[in-house]
Amino acid sequence: MFSLIACCRSLQSKSYVRKSLVCKRARQLLFRDNHAAQYTSVYNMWLHTTCGMNKTFQPKPRKPNTTHKERNENSSPHSSTVFSAGAAKKRSEMMKSKIDAPTNVDTNSTSVKRKYIVPPSVPLGSDEWRKLKDESFRPNGFVNVMMSKMIAENCDINVAKSLLNFAAKEQEGISYELLLKYLALCIKQNNITEVYDIYEIMRNRFKSFDTGAYSLFIKGFSQTDNWRESIKMLETLKRTIKPSSKNYGDCIKAAIVHREAKQAWALYKEMLLNDLIPCDNTLQSLFDADRDLQDDTFRTELINILGYFRDHQIYPGEYLMQSIKLWFESIPDEHWRGYLSRVSDSGHCEACKQQLESIHLKPEEYSALKDVFLTTVIKGHDVFRKTTPQELQEFQHFVRSNPPYDVVVDGLNVAHMDPKGIRSQTLLDVVTSLSSGGKRVLVLGRKHMLKESRTWVKRHIQLLQKKSDCFFIDDISEDDPFLLYASLSSGNHCCFLTRDLLRDHKACLPDAHTQRLFFKWQRGHQLVIPFYTLGSKVFLQPRLSYDTILQSTDVSWHIPYDKTGVERASFEVPKTWLCLQKRR
Amino acid sequence: MAFFNTILRTLRFPAFHTLAQERCTRLFLKNLKTFSQCRTLNLSHHLRKEEGLNIDPKEKLDLEEWKTVMRSSPQDNKNEQELESQEDSSLSGMRELVEMWRLAGRAVPEVITAEQLKVLNELSTKSSRKKYLKFLSLKEILKKKKKEKKSENRKSTVNDFYDSEEKEEKNEIKNTLFLQFWERSMDNLQRWRAAQAMLFGQPLIFDMAYENYMSRIELQNTVNQLMESEGWNRRAADPFHIYFCNLQADGPYHKELVKRYNGAFENILITATDKSHVDLFPRDHLIYLTADSPNELKTFDHNKVYIVGSLVDKCQQTGVSLANAKRLKLATARLPLDRYLKWDVGAKNLTLDQMIRILTCIKDTGDWEKALSYVPTRKHSGFVGPSHSQKKRTSKHSKMYEFGKTLNHSEKVQHPPPPDNTE
Repeated sequence: MFSLIACCRSLQSKSYVRKSLVCKRARQLLFRDNHAAQYTSVYNMWLHTTCGMNKTFQPKPRKPNTTHKERNENSSPHSSTVFSAGAAKKRSEMMKSKIDAPTNVDTNSTSVKRKYIVPPSVPLGSDEWRKLKDESFRPNGFVNVMMSKMIAENCDINVAKSLLNFAAKEQEGISYELLLKYLALCIKQNNITEVYDIYEIMRNRFKSFDTGAYSLFIKGFSQTDNWRESIKMLETLKRTIKPSSKNYGDCIKAAIVHREAKQAWALYKEMLLNDLIPCDNTLQSLFDADRDLQDDTFRTELINILGYFRDHQIYPGEYLMQSIKLWFESIPDEHWRGYLSRVSDSGHCEACKQQLESIHLKPEEYSALKDVFLTTVIKGHDVFRKTTPQELQEFQHFVRSNPPYDVVVDGLNVAHMDPKGIRSQTLLDVVTSLSSGGKRVLVLGRKHMLKESRTWVKRHIQLLQKKSDCFFIDDISEDDPFLLYASLSSGNHCCFLTRDLLRDHKACLPDAHTQRLFFKWQRGHQLVIPFYTLGSKVFLQPRLSYDTILQSTDVSWHIPYDKTGVERASFEVPKTWLCLQKRR
Repeated sequence: MAFFNTILRTLRFPAFHTLAQERCTRLFLKNLKTFSQCRTLNLSHHLRKEEGLNIDPKEKLDLEEWKTVMRSSPQDNKNEQELESQEDSSLSGMRELVEMWRLAGRAVPEVITAEQLKVLNELSTKSSRKKYLKFLSLKEILKKKKKEKKSENRKSTVNDFYDSEEKEEKNEIKNTLFLQFWERSMDNLQRWRAAQAMLFGQPLIFDMAYENYMSRIELQNTVNQLMESEGWNRRAADPFHIYFCNLQADGPYHKELVKRYNGAFENILITATDKSHVDLFPRDHLIYLTADSPNELKTFDHNKVYIVGSLVDKCQQTGVSLANAKRLKLATARLPLDRYLKWDVGAKNLTLDQMIRILTCIKDTGDWEKALSYVPTRKHSGFVGPSHSQKKRTSKHSKMYEFGKTLNHSEKVQHPPPPDNTE
């Protein structure tokens, strides 16, 4: 793609080539491919940046100084949908740049700065510490604050020791809090001998520890030969409070390192029973475990982890993915090869050309989702919250009596896409272009749209009603649940058009499993018009045809993973895949 | 380190010389001792005892010294064991944990009762436990502060008492027209007014149908607000006749109210009933006040009966009271907050006592700006119109105002010369 743009630019740079010719050439190049639809956006962008012919294709104003890198990113053959990782961040940055102008107001207000404590670089004597203390902003908490600063800046441990000396002299003993912070510093620097000393001291001084101290000791001891101590601590911690997944993770790691596979797996299962989600680190240590430790049961357990990922829609991070890849490749007698890959819009893995799982729900899942949706999202505890019983009945009757639709349009959401245009005009244009392909369209709106006003022209609404079926709900009812219900009850082929991400409705669903089902259905059926101004061509973002989930066949695994550095919101899915192939 | 050592050595030696010259050995020894005490280098106890006249010049900072101090000093908590023997093991474990959390500097109360411990143990998640402990610690701190203040006040009143005794001896009794106006008389007056309101006053309904929507804490907050609003109403010049509708006898609301009023719940001059407001009044007279309503309350109608839902919703349940009004087919309204105030932060739903103060004020004066001065000032940045003359602003005017504002804004934006043009 990038080479295409470069080629076009080189063509343009030759002065005798007219612009129109360039356009023609580029179009030929582009549409020769059968992925025409997804290239249009690139083409538009290119036209805009080089030829200045922006009006007809893509009216969205672009910055003139788009860098190479950005362009390259945008022009990747993988069209970015609202659900792909990083899309939310990109959108927020775009919005920010739009309203970026007056930011100089805030700088003045934060001019008052405190004098921060800076930990010294060499150990000090008591006198010097006292001097520092007297100079400090808040002499009461000086020692604790200083120790926290040392942790933050990862100071030399001798400096911390000298501070402890000072504290011991000044206050006749060292507080638990200070010891704890010192312990944290030692753990941070992996100073195990010091950890032993502190443990001994604290055991003598105090009968029990708090959760923070336990966590730190568990972490410290798990790296030593004394690792069984950390498992004992985990047991004591369990008596009062549920240990965190990090506590379990440290113990599991220790068990694996000391070749106690059974213990590790027992802890892992216990952690899952407690509804804790294991950290990537923990799992990585399991995958990285010594090869001769791994017997058949060990292997099946590891495969079970992948099953757990699939069931809970968890995506591994990049490091864990590397571990998984290495593990597969190291299995003896099975010749696995791993490739980092992407998936094309048609749902084929680029490395092995295999078709991925379809995003469509199974019939039983579909009907379950439909029922749950009606009972929890629309009715909920109280039908009156979102609608009225009469209205609901009327709507259900309407949906049942009319033939199934192909597209359900959220009228108000679509109408507000262009802030400057007339609302009814925008809606009419979009619906016209949708229904021109012979599709049956249902438009959902509110009753106030029927009233003649500056933004809602009656003539447009009448035309709209000719082109499509319309249903107008009360002004104080919520329209999104109706939209989703109409789309769900029309069948699997039916899509809905809205820019709303529908997170609030997803949150209304009773459990995580149904939420996942809903999200899957939403990804497969939501149409989005990413940008629109009056008069421009309606460009729909392509729907995803494949499901982003860990999946396997006899000879392959496809594992989506999170790339480090890409921020993924909870309503997005990763774009990057690990493709594992078995060679015969 | 070495640098520091040399400084101290140079400090010590001149002193030694001068003193030796004076041959005043006693003074010398004394001085040397003071020097050695403020020295920072040799810190441990046993070394300090051993040190006498001769000091080792090669000494250095002993970094492990604090360990010996910690090992030598006795255990801190030995008295706890008596307490624990009375409780069962899980609770004592929790008590220990709470104590250690306190030592670790977390927001945790110093004293925790067995009952509170039980509540803590029953909480399911870590964060809820943390929150509960924080709440308890805050409560404890406030209690302590109150106590301190009280004791201080007592001291000052004792002093005042002595002062006034001295004065009284000097002064004669004054000739006054009235007896001292005791608070009791004020109470009497207010009670008369409230009784009058019970007969002839405009009804105001608190809808108590939301018991099941609230947690324990929210319910307590609501009862607090109800008590406060009853107090504000009593003090008003022309009080409302307050109804507590849908109040289930022996429901959580009723129990909490009886507990908080401390026996006086039967005596306050309001109507508490388990009937619904639609049974007591004709439907077309009722107006349900809710922030979710699409209709704005333009003027206060003296013939209507306003309903306020007594609900504190800290969790995300929107439209509960609107749903209730919809079900009963009642008219709804919201306060004209956006029309009069430049709203800043916070939800538009106000507390019950703020509501009743706004309503009494608007009832007495009909002036929205005065009434809406009871909206907390942190939530808005002033009134929309600068003076009373502009109060009755039409929507067109307000549009114009906004338009002008945006114009200015855009001018500002365009003002700095855009550097992009050069590219």
